Amino acid sequence: MNNVFCQLLVNAVIAGSIYALIALGFTVIYRTVKFFHFAHGVVYTAGAYFAYTLIISLHLNFALSFFLSMVLAAILGIAIDRFVYYPLRQQNASNLIFLLASFGVFIFLQNLIQLIYGAQILTIRTGPIKEGHHFLGAVITDVQILILAASIILMIFLWLFIQKTKLGKAMRAVADDPVAANVVGINPERMIRTSFAIGSALAGAAGILISFETNIEPTMGFSALLKGIIAAIIGGIGSIPGAVLGGFFLGLAENLGIWKISAGWKDCIAFAILIIFLFIRPWGFLGTKTEKETI
Amino acid sequence: MEYLLHILLIAGIYVILTLSLNLIVGYTGLPALGHAAFSCIGAYTSSLLALNMGLSPWIGLLTGACVAALSGIIIGYPAVRLKGDYLALATFGLGVIVYSIAKNWVSLTRGPMGLPGIPGFSIFGFQLSEIWSYLLLVLFFVIVTVFVIKRTVNSPFGRILRSIREDEVASEALGKDTTKHKLLVFIIGAFFAGIAGSLYAHYITFIDPSSFTVMESIIILLMVIFGGMGSISGSIVGAVILVVFPELLRFLGMPSSIAAPMRQMIYGLLLVVLMLKRPQGIMGAYRFK
Repeated sequence: MNNVFCQLLVNAVIAGSIYALIALGFTVIYRTVKFFHFAHGVVYTAGAYFAYTLIISLHLNFALSFFLSMVLAAILGIAIDRFVYYPLRQQNASNLIFLLASFGVFIFLQNLIQLIYGAQILTIRTGPIKEGHHFLGAVITDVQILILAASIILMIFLWLFIQKTKLGKAMRAVADDPVAANVVGINPERMIRTSFAIGSALAGAAGILISFETNIEPTMGFSALLKGIIAAIIGGIGSIPGAVLGGFFLGLAENLGIWKISAGWKDCIAFAILIIFLFIRPWGFLGTKTEKETI
Repeated sequence: MEYLLHILLIAGIYVILTLSLNLIVGYTGLPALGHAAFSCIGAYTSSLLALNMGLSPWIGLLTGACVAALSGIIIGYPAVRLKGDYLALATFGLGVIVYSIAKNWVSLTRGPMGLPGIPGFSIFGFQLSEIWSYLLLVLFFVIVTVFVIKRTVNSPFGRILRSIREDEVASEALGKDTTKHKLLVFIIGAFFAGIAGSLYAHYITFIDPSSFTVMESIIILLMVIFGGMGSISGSIVGAVILVVFPELLRFLGMPSSIAAPMRQMIYGLLLVVLMLKRPQGIMGAYRFK
């Protein structure tokens, strides 16, 4: 009983760190463009398949493949922005048009992946399955420790980047007020490209990490995307610490929620939380109340 | 010939779905992304009544539509209080919840195993076993839907809907209860989606949750946008083209492992191109603001 609780807690933290990474990427992009980039989920899937191709087909080592897959995911993100969102920005399209276009990109790329790799599940794990470490009555595997460590390192890097570097400061300026940023000589288009690169690399990283832990399939991005968006909203849309908090909160709520009921209800729990938040506290944990007017 | 009639019949069911969603999306300007949830509720209610209680599909169809309309209140109530992207996200979420319930409430819906052996319709004791007779039944409901939606949008009620779409604050300032109207639109849309779901279930005789995914909702929305936002003839054209056109892939001799993702890719690409080039659709009068 107690062991079950500890195990669920460990699972919650691992799931939470993946959700937090996706939510962070989503938030970084949302802050500069202010629309829901649904194709973020397919970048996550693409990250996993890039890693699969590099490790299994090209026999590269793990660390190099990890890095290259993140770069490829960033390039994919920039390409989506360049070929779909940039022309829409030129037409001053509304948020909903961006949202639907991003859905189109999502459907297109997900099925492209399915066309190339097939609908079946693939696995990256090559060696034998090792028994995990026992920790307070719960079992935690090496891969899970890697996931947790890598996501925390990425979160710290992102925080330092946004807070300490000049580029990060310029990104914050565009997020706050694109017109004023333009006046002081920051190119908003360049900042949008940067945010797509960083956000997509984070989504790619989440996809790569999950591919070390479980099997991958073309449809994996959908559920992950929804969790990332829900985490970003309940944390406070546009808030970077909020995305991390929301990710871990969602991981906990989902995994402790299925303590007594079947695991199939996870998605249901996640969306029930979203609906409750949208109804009662739409600006999330750390968002500002002024956001309420836009909702 | 049988195959051609089958495609037409499926197109007819999609016409009902597209028209009912157009009322919500195209005429009232509410970006609802969970329309398949309503047809799911209609299909399951009608099938379960027929299978467990032996009721006639006619009673099932009506009850299914009413239960779907009721769920329109439950789903619409929180949703219509939100704006734009958030409304889209909330309806999307409610769509996932309904799908998830259909999949996980195994004791009632048999979950992913689905419900087999759903009885078909009969009229005055004659079983509608021939496909053309079933096609006539669907056609009858298409005509009813077109008639009701047309009357709705051309009435004073419909004018209020369009005023909400064009400028919600202005119509509120004129004393119109916009929340009530938006909720009513959800109820009407859900009612017809419930009918479509029930027609589908009794025709195919088997349903499982995979027919009512959120992707399905997006495809219905794509039909609305493609045909034209706020256009009845547009919805009919949009649904028929998007059901019939991918079937042509079959004649190119592609195996289904290629044809299925190819079909989805076309839908995705079409959505992107429409958003880039013509967001109001072929015959549309409105684009998302």
